[in-house]
Amino acid sequence: MKLDPKIPSGPLAEKWTKHRNDIHLLSPNNKRKHKVIVVGTGLAGASAAASLSELGYSVEVFSILDSPRRAHSIAAQGGINAAKNYQNDGDSVWRLFYDTIKGGDYRSREANVYRLAEVSNYIIDQAVAQGVPFGREYGGLLDNRSFGGAQVSRTFYSRGQTGQQLLLGAYQAMMKEVHSGRVKMYNRHEMLDLVLVDGKARGIITRDLVKGTVHRFEADAVILCTGGYGNVFYLSTNAKNSNATAAWRCHKRGAVFANPCFVQIHPTCIPVSGDYQSKLTLMSESLRNDGRVWVPRNKDEKRHPNDIPEEDRYYYLEERYPSFGNLVPRDVASRSAKMVCDEGLGVGDTGLAVYLDFRDAIKRDSKEVIEAKYGNLFDMYQNITDDNPYEMPMRIFPAVHYTMGGLWVDYNLMSNIPGLFVAGEANFSDHGANRLGASALMQGLSDGYFIVPYTVGNYIADVDLPKVNTEHEAFAEAEDSSKKIMDKLLAVKGNKTVIEFHRELGKIMWDKVGISRSKEGLESAIEEIRALRDEFWENVNVPGDANYYNKYLEFAYRVADYFELAELMAIDALDRGESCGCHLRDEYQTEEGEALRNDKEYAFVSAYEFLGVNGKLETKLHKEKLEFEFVELKQRSYK
Amino acid sequence: MSLMTINLKVWRQKNTETPGKFEDYKLDGVSEHMSFLEMLDVLNENLIKEGKDPVEFDYDCREGICGSCNMVINGRAHGPKHKTAACQLHMRTYNDGDTIVIEPPRAAAFPIIKDLVVDRSAFDRIIEAGGYISVKTGAAPEANLIPVPQDTSNEAFDYATCIGCGGCVAACPNSSAALFTGAKIAHLNSLPQGQPERDKRTVAMVDQMAKEGFGDCSNYAECEAVCPVGISISSIAAMRRDYIKAIF
Amino acid sequence: MPSLIEAFQSQVGRKVLTGLTGFLLVFFIIFHLAGNLAIFGEPDAMNSYSQFLHDLGPLLWVARIGLLLIFVIHAYIGISIWINKRKARPQQYKVYSSKGGPSRQGLSSRSMAFTGVVLLIFVVAHINTFALGDMDTVLIDGRETHDVKTLVLDTFQNPIYAFGYTIVMILLGAHLGHGIWSAFTSLTLRSKKASATIYTIGVVVAVLLAVGFLFIPLYIYFGGGCDAALIHCN
Repeated sequence: MKLDPKIPSGPLAEKWTKHRNDIHLLSPNNKRKHKVIVVGTGLAGASAAASLSELGYSVEVFSILDSPRRAHSIAAQGGINAAKNYQNDGDSVWRLFYDTIKGGDYRSREANVYRLAEVSNYIIDQAVAQGVPFGREYGGLLDNRSFGGAQVSRTFYSRGQTGQQLLLGAYQAMMKEVHSGRVKMYNRHEMLDLVLVDGKARGIITRDLVKGTVHRFEADAVILCTGGYGNVFYLSTNAKNSNATAAWRCHKRGAVFANPCFVQIHPTCIPVSGDYQSKLTLMSESLRNDGRVWVPRNKDEKRHPNDIPEEDRYYYLEERYPSFGNLVPRDVASRSAKMVCDEGLGVGDTGLAVYLDFRDAIKRDSKEVIEAKYGNLFDMYQNITDDNPYEMPMRIFPAVHYTMGGLWVDYNLMSNIPGLFVAGEANFSDHGANRLGASALMQGLSDGYFIVPYTVGNYIADVDLPKVNTEHEAFAEAEDSSKKIMDKLLAVKGNKTVIEFHRELGKIMWDKVGISRSKEGLESAIEEIRALRDEFWENVNVPGDANYYNKYLEFAYRVADYFELAELMAIDALDRGESCGCHLRDEYQTEEGEALRNDKEYAFVSAYEFLGVNGKLETKLHKEKLEFEFVELKQRSYK
Repeated sequence: MSLMTINLKVWRQKNTETPGKFEDYKLDGVSEHMSFLEMLDVLNENLIKEGKDPVEFDYDCREGICGSCNMVINGRAHGPKHKTAACQLHMRTYNDGDTIVIEPPRAAAFPIIKDLVVDRSAFDRIIEAGGYISVKTGAAPEANLIPVPQDTSNEAFDYATCIGCGGCVAACPNSSAALFTGAKIAHLNSLPQGQPERDKRTVAMVDQMAKEGFGDCSNYAECEAVCPVGISISSIAAMRRDYIKAIF
Repeated sequence: MPSLIEAFQSQVGRKVLTGLTGFLLVFFIIFHLAGNLAIFGEPDAMNSYSQFLHDLGPLLWVARIGLLLIFVIHAYIGISIWINKRKARPQQYKVYSSKGGPSRQGLSSRSMAFTGVVLLIFVVAHINTFALGDMDTVLIDGRETHDVKTLVLDTFQNPIYAFGYTIVMILLGAHLGHGIWSAFTSLTLRSKKASATIYTIGVVVAVLLAVGFLFIPLYIYFGGGCDAALIHCN
């Protein structure tokens, strides 16, 4: 297999325009005859469905939730980047492109990232026209805030709910098309398999989560917009239903999976309080502007944090990174927190937390000033933990937040399976080894509104797509295999619940395939994942049956897929003998403990082909070499 | 950390057609730091191990923004705390030995799917009727072309922040969807971009709301009291104003 | 766009009509109370007022029919809202309580249908008693007119009437306690601050009206009709 990224030739700034000019078009009355399936209704899915329907295609959309409006894009807080340069601070498409590619630690494609920056401005236009209430200045024009990893103010925001407002904009645009009759919406339907006919993606198998029935849908193209796989770790900032099953089943049908080990871990989350914990809540990183991070110097510290004198406090970020101090980037902050906790210095009931202390800031600026800046975050913290952060330090800990890896796609956002397109967090395309803040919303909407509608049309116009119907044997085979997985899970009737297995898997992943990784750790993780997976299939207890609403059956097949994906993540982390972005290998650090990238040997996208699971995951690595024609590769330093 | 014993009275219903009933459960070892939904997770783990059917309830983000969770806890939608979704409610609100009655939102327009899970697609159909601004992808003018006063934008945001949970319907003595519908109408109608379709949108959404079988609004304002994001009933007044403007 | 007839059958249209008719009824009630208070005036004041109304001739009929229409619309919509409410929630909660805070749910708002129906029945009885009842005639300005005042004084000597009216007037107060503010909200009052002020004013007006109305039967009953200090009989 040869992975061709199909990057158009020519100067960077002209590639997308040129490509659009070369694209084959379909006449309006021909578009109507073609059906496109969109799986997932987050930013990417909803915007793609709306845009394709506007063009005239028949679109069928699937969501696992009870309404498309609840997709997890809704939870994004901070904002969305665009190169509008409204602040006159020197921003440009080039700068947004450069910041994004550098932020990704030079592990993404230049052409894709440039296009992302290029269309970013149209997203803002589109959203404003839809009625998205962005923050505005007194004069009525759009306001911007600054965000990590950039020296300009280019982030558009709707208070702390930018994701919600953008998603509702895309959702409403899609509901408008439902009204027009060209979009058909299927809520509470989960994609279980991809159907290939003559090597092309020609349909999907779904499960009606209410009735439990399994269904076949045929189409000319399938767009997967199913988000990331952070829930492999059990605890993450992802929603409880976010999962990797649709993507993984496509992988098992031949779609290659790229950079699975690139997982972003956010440093400021509310820590785990007990075994019952079901998810982690993120708090804006901006807290580190005024809060000081510390742990007690002594392992057996029993005193209340307020009673611990200065000499017994270890301000580890300030001591180790004197010039950046508490404001080191996400990955460094996360890694350091884990390190001190591993040394036994962690605080709280679980020992897996560090203090974020506002005592000095309050003394310096007054409580009112701090309240004005962070009041809502402090309230949220207090609501969850019942501690008052004005009076005692917050406890924080890193948490899994976003996955940069995903299904491999070419410049057209098409996977190696013809007709299977992948958009949003589900693909690997734009963020390299680390995503900058306020770039996820940008990518989801850029893919959905402005890229996929063109490239899907080009594919349909280009390729011979003989009529298929769902009676085709490929549909029967896929339906059968989906059902078999459920039947097998239900037949085990073991002693451990799905959640117990998932929690154990998450612990292995967090400990060994998490913030920092080592050869020994990864090798033992692979062994442990395999052993636990075998036990899962012999001892899992899935209640009820498949013929009605059964959330725990859904969890069971999703966890079954995580078990395989987890192994792939560990294999990829082991294979990538360098540190880059969010991927830190203990063996590859500078003398000062900083990530050591190896551009000579690892400037490539790791793309894995699925061969089978036979006790162990059998996989084949393909490498897409990353060419950097326009930017110069540099090493980061925060000392 | 103090652990509590909680007595639960939970509505169990197999499916839409089968009548439901309450079941009593006693749950030991409840930590005050658990969220309300985590407490139900623990109950379900116990039920699964006992070979019983777990309690189904809707949830997703568990951080109060997706609007999936919506249950009536001791007679109040989302429980006792103001501006708090059920997923953000913590067990420290309760005392050892308390009895908690949990019911699904009850409304003809929200048929029960199973236990505490209901079908809220009526809300999607209200949005489908007109809860959007018709702008095709690519056809949008430059974002800063139309300045919007900051106050207007802030007001629009306050209405736009609705999470679509249906707590308003659950709590309304009439099962009215006026707050949900009013919030979207008030959001879009307050912006210059929303003006061309204002009349059509308002009438279509109001009509759809009635077609779905929601009750009339009697201005109880209970909806505002239970709303996890505190949407004001002034949105309902705005909906009425725009409706009157539309028909004259 | 719907026709006006269709529009006023919509949920919003109906509510606006309820608020509008409610307002008009409140105005009517205020005038009615003013007329009632004539019982404390000159010996002939109340009957003169009655004569004045009768002298309006066809205009009085216009007013009567108008009032009846307003009342019927208000009652009809009120009852249909109640029926709709039963349909919209066929199965009730086992436990239900208000969350407080901004909620306007209370005895007053919860009992609108009940107090409304009582008032409906009351109005029929009231008309039967005082408008269609047997009355003597008296001479006012040399002309014969109904002796409403004596009828009132006699009727409220009866404890059933006196206390019955009192109870109904308390229910009227309860109806208006939510009703006045609700009418403003139905007629698109949006400001949060104004809303809070109007709620308070509404409750005060409701209490004043109720007390104004129920004072008369109680005073007549306990004061012994013409023997009461404030009532002047010929």
